[in-house]
Order: sequence, then C-alpha cells, then structure tokens
Amino acid sequence: MTAAPSIKSQPVYHAIDWDQTGVEHLLFIAADDPATLDRLLANRPPGGLTLVVAAAEAAERLGVAGVTARMVIEQNATSALHALESLLQQATMGLRLYLVGPEDAIWQAAAVATRYGMSSAEIRLYQTGTKARPVFCVHCRAMTRGVRTNLADCSGCGRTLFVRDHFSRRLGAYMGFQIDAEIPGEKPPVETVYP
Amino acid sequence: MNMQLDMRLSRIIELAPGIREFWLCREDGGELPTYSGGSHVVLSLPLPGGIQRNPYSLLGDPADCNKWRIAVRRQEQSRGGSVWLHDSAQEGQALKVSMPANLFPMARLGRHHVLIAGGIGVTPMLSHARELARLGESFEVHYAHRAPEFGVLADELRTLAGPDLHCYVESRGETIDFSKLLARRPLGTHAYLCGPQGMVEAYHRIASEMGWPDTHVHSERFLAPPPGAPFTVRLAKTGKAIEVRREQSMLEAIESSGVQPPFLCRGGACGQCEMEVLDCDSSLLHNDLFLSQADRDSGRKIMPCVSRVTGGCITVNL
Repeated sequence: MTAAPSIKSQPVYHAIDWDQTGVEHLLFIAADDPATLDRLLANRPPGGLTLVVAAAEAAERLGVAGVTARMVIEQNATSALHALESLLQQATMGLRLYLVGPEDAIWQAAAVATRYGMSSAEIRLYQTGTKARPVFCVHCRAMTRGVRTNLADCSGCGRTLFVRDHFSRRLGAYMGFQIDAEIPGEKPPVETVYP
Repeated sequence: MNMQLDMRLSRIIELAPGIREFWLCREDGGELPTYSGGSHVVLSLPLPGGIQRNPYSLLGDPADCNKWRIAVRRQEQSRGGSVWLHDSAQEGQALKVSMPANLFPMARLGRHHVLIAGGIGVTPMLSHARELARLGESFEVHYAHRAPEFGVLADELRTLAGPDLHCYVESRGETIDFSKLLARRPLGTHAYLCGPQGMVEAYHRIASEMGWPDTHVHSERFLAPPPGAPFTVRLAKTGKAIEVRREQSMLEAIESSGVQPPFLCRGGACGQCEMEVLDCDSSLLHNDLFLSQADRDSGRKIMPCVSRVTGGCITVNL
C-alpha cells in the first residue's frame, strides 16, 4: 500500500484532513472506517458540515456518536451518488468536498463533482475499505466493477481482461486488456490481488 | 520565438478623453491568425529613445482575420509608450507586433462566468464576452469606470451580454462590492478581473475569505517597468556588460545590445523572461507578479521585464 505505484497514473492517497480555506464542507463516506471518521469529526472545521453516508455500518456508528451535522443516509453507493448530485446542484462556491471510501465510489463521486464545475483544488479523496477495482475494457469500453483478481471477465464482451495499474481519473477506473490476445488460451493463474 | 508581424495602424478612434482605440492590420494585407479570448499582443513602439515594447489585450472578435483591435489609456506618469500612441501615432504608422499570447484564458469547464472590468481593464473582457456569447455559455459582465464618458465600449458589451451587463459609475458613487458580487454563486462559477491594483487585491482577498479556490479566481494585470537608478547588467556567458538607463527596463537594455532573450508578456505576469542571478553587488528590486516569496528570498531569480537592482552591477546566467 505504501509502495510507490509502478505507474504514474495510479492515484496516491494521503491521510485526509479538512481544508481550512473552505466555508462549507461535504463529507461523502462510502466505507466503514471508524478510525478515519472519528479523527475527522473530532476536529471539525469552521463552517457548515454535511455528511452523505453510503455505508450502513458507518451510519449506525455516526448515529450513536450523536454527530451534529446535516446528514443524508443512503443504503448504497448508487443512491448516495444521487444524493450527492442533488446537494451539489444547490451548493455554492466555498464548498469543499471530501470523498472517503473504495476507489470505485469516490471516483464516481469525483466525476459528479467535476460535472458541477469543481476543480481538484476543492476535492480531497481518501481510499479506504475494499481495494476492489473498477475496470474499463479497452476493447468494448464496458465497465466491470468490484474486481478483486488479476484477471477478470469483461461484463461487456466477455474477454478475459488483465487488470493494469493504469488508472483514468476521468473514467474512475483501471484499464483492462485481453490477456490472451496473442496466444489464445494462454493465461496465468487467477489470483486475488485486490482484497 | 518572439516572432513579430509587420503591421500598420489602420484606424485610430477617440473613445473618450485619454482613451484611444487602434486597429492593426498586416502590412502585406494578409490574414491574421485567430486567437482565444483574453489574449494580448506586444507592440514595439518606435520611441525617440529606442524601441519600447508594451503589451495590450486584444478586444475585438477573436475570429476576425482582418484586423486586431486594442484600446490604450494615456498614462502620463509612465515611460512614454502610451503617450506616444496618443500624441504621435498616426493612421498608417508601421509597427512590429508580436503574435497573440494568452495568459488570461477562460476556464472551459466553468458553468458560469463572471467578468469584472475596472476602467481600461475592460479590453480583455470584450474578447472573453464575445467568445462566451458565441459558445452560448452562461456569463455576466460587471464594468466599473470613473465617469459616464469613460464607459467606453459598454455599448459593444451590451450587445453581447444584454441585461447581464452591469455598469458602476464612480462619479455617481457606484462601486463593485465584491462580498456581494461573489456571494452565493453556484459551484463551478469562475470569476475574471482586469483592473487597477487595489481592485485586483480586494477581489482576491475577498474571494479567498469566501472560500473560492484560486483555480476559479482569475485576474490579469500588466505592470509597466518602473524607472530607477541606472545600473550595469553583465551577461556571464559572453562577458558583455550593458548599461541600463533610468527609464529603461533591464530586458530592453539587454535587447538593445543585440541579445534576444525569450519573453511573452513584458508585464511581470508570465515568467517567460526569468533570469538566473549569479552575482549582484546591490539589492534586487522585484516588481513582478510571478516569483514566489521563496524565489525572491533566494536572491537567485529576477524577471528583467519589470524588475531591476538598486545600482552597481548584476550578473545573470545568459
């Protein structure tokens, strides 16, 4: 995890903290990571705080902690992304967005924020929870989500894809290409590498 | 690098007391390249004491291949370029003009654009407004000027922005309140300002206090090189020693010796002409908007287009 990525496009995540230059803060949580949450909430920034929680366990913990903030609790990442979008529609300049969770969820959230004109200076991302990868098939352009293995069947064209470290911020996904394109049938063993 | 076009002043229009518009055409009658909103060109003005190069924003239609338009305010306290354009320049005058460069581009991913002009700072906003209108983007213009007669080009802006043009006339006590102007703006709003120093500073300070990130707060200001005590600049690679006169910039003095260092804005904004300082027996006087505090503190860098030294000799790695 701490080893430098073999490829420049792979994101590196640093410990997340509040951006004191913001006047409004929106924290999007898509994983159960009590340590990160406790640390963030123990040191709240000045200005309004909204939480969008996409993980049921995290929601329970927050409920118990009696956090005083505007809170939107959703059952899954998809509905949380819709909730995020409707909040961003109403939001004004001065907002900072914090995205905490697996890469699939936080990069989808970042894509929503980019559509609303936010720049990387207004968004902080932190990977936590599953390391499962969203994989973009370079052949048929289909997205295969939740990939934990070095090889995966493409959800679009069925090819066996090798999951690269090459990451697209725009697509929020790792590139996957056919593993046996040159010698059909020649495939290395399947291993779980993204737990 | 530094390619120049042979042009002539094809038209001069008196817009207001002390403000003139100039049209520039190619000497050979050929087509001009198009440019993007916010671009500027550098005019080489044949002053009696030597060539003076000044940057001016292009205010016309970026798609117009027949002429470039600029507007110039007469600056009495300056080094003479604007005074020459007001008092000596005639229609038909030949001038060398750089290719357009853009240090003040529009943010293409913006969802709404707030253009703010103070005085003659209206010029880049015209090319921005024209481009935004052509693209069908959402934008508004706020234009502050001294008195009604100085609202030059407001009619042209009104044809582009319609009811979204707001004018503020200082002589009627109207001023732009940035804390109101920048409040409750939707995400993805970008603001652009060209105006006097105090206005630029207030704008950046208030935007920052209101939580706007620097990525969404744009401004442009070209500085004129302030005159100062004469000094010597020594070029380390050739050993050449060049005298910099009181009213000359260090860059102009180096150019007049036949050396052509790279440049772009000539107003302390772009960083293109940065030089490495190898030695200096006086103090550096930084006047640019480009170098960081750390760079300034290091004493190793200088922007020769607007900065100079207090006297003696400076050696640069050139």
